[in-house]
Amino acid sequence: MKSIVKTLTAAALGLGLLAGCTNLPSDSTRLTERTAPITMNSVVFSDYNLSRTWDGGIFGDGERYRLTVAQHGQRATATGTTEVYAVLRNHTDYDYQVEARTQFFDQDGVPTDVKPTWQRLTVSGNSLATYRELSTSTQPLQYRVEVRELN
Amino acid sequence: MKTACALATASLVLSGCASNIDNAKGKPSVYEDVSTTGSVGGVGIESQDVVAVTDKMMRDMMANPLLTGRSTPPRIIIDNEYIKNESTSVVNTNMFTDRLRIELNRAANGRMVFVGRHFSDMVQKERDLKRDGAVDGGTIRKTAAQAGADFRLGGRISSLDAIDRNTGTQSRYSQISFEMVDLELGTIVWSGLYEMRKAARDNVVYR
Repeated sequence: MKSIVKTLTAAALGLGLLAGCTNLPSDSTRLTERTAPITMNSVVFSDYNLSRTWDGGIFGDGERYRLTVAQHGQRATATGTTEVYAVLRNHTDYDYQVEARTQFFDQDGVPTDVKPTWQRLTVSGNSLATYRELSTSTQPLQYRVEVRELN
Repeated sequence: MKTACALATASLVLSGCASNIDNAKGKPSVYEDVSTTGSVGGVGIESQDVVAVTDKMMRDMMANPLLTGRSTPPRIIIDNEYIKNESTSVVNTNMFTDRLRIELNRAANGRMVFVGRHFSDMVQKERDLKRDGAVDGGTIRKTAAQAGADFRLGGRISSLDAIDRNTGTQSRYSQISFEMVDLELGTIVWSGLYEMRKAARDNVVYR
């Protein structure tokens, strides 16, 4: 009887450890986002607590997220400046206070426009929220939006 | 001999204690990012709020066709004259108007022209010297008068405070509004509103 209990306990512990291995923490250096190439016209989570992916784990690739980007894009305003938007989706039951900022680049990939500023935003639990940012320049631009949790 | 040595040692120890110099390393000053919450924060208007408000207003004005879509760039006055602080926050409203004017002027790149009405006395003194013949006429041009403006910025800061007596937590809702007024018609051609609510228990003093 004792040996059966011991075996079951060991098996449970082993499963628990393996299950733990399926989730890399946000401070892991093995997260894909840490070394991902910089892409234009994109929205990224600079806070890996909100969203992170990894590959090569015991159970293969993995993903963990609280927020995701439902859609994003840009359009020209009436004065020719660029408006960028990103729709964030909260997959949790809790409201999230986040900050977002947009870095604009010209068509050659050179950073341009005014210095990006963090803008606060609340994404209610299980809801969508839209972040918008305007450029000041009228030239065609590319963008990169960064999202992090509010400190 | 032994007694002499003991006395010498004791006097040395005592002389060490007599020094008033505290030779401990002090805490150095730390530079912080002006656009994020710093190590000292309360419910009042802080640097990150000034930056966020002016940045939002600037971008919004640049997207307004009544201000930047004109064939002749409009002349605009942005100064502290018609900005009222009716809130409980201690803040120098010049910080808003100065940052807004400077950032707009840099970003507009000629799409708006800013009139330095707060420098008008400086300009008038030089004009008087030129017309009196005390100095020559300069190299650029002569005009009949200083520039008149098409639009001027007005605004208001207001707040609503609440405090929880049990926990000491203080909450403040702040509303910052800016409006651009047509200086002939009196119509408002652009409006911008920024609002925030902060709660804190820290005992921060703003000066």
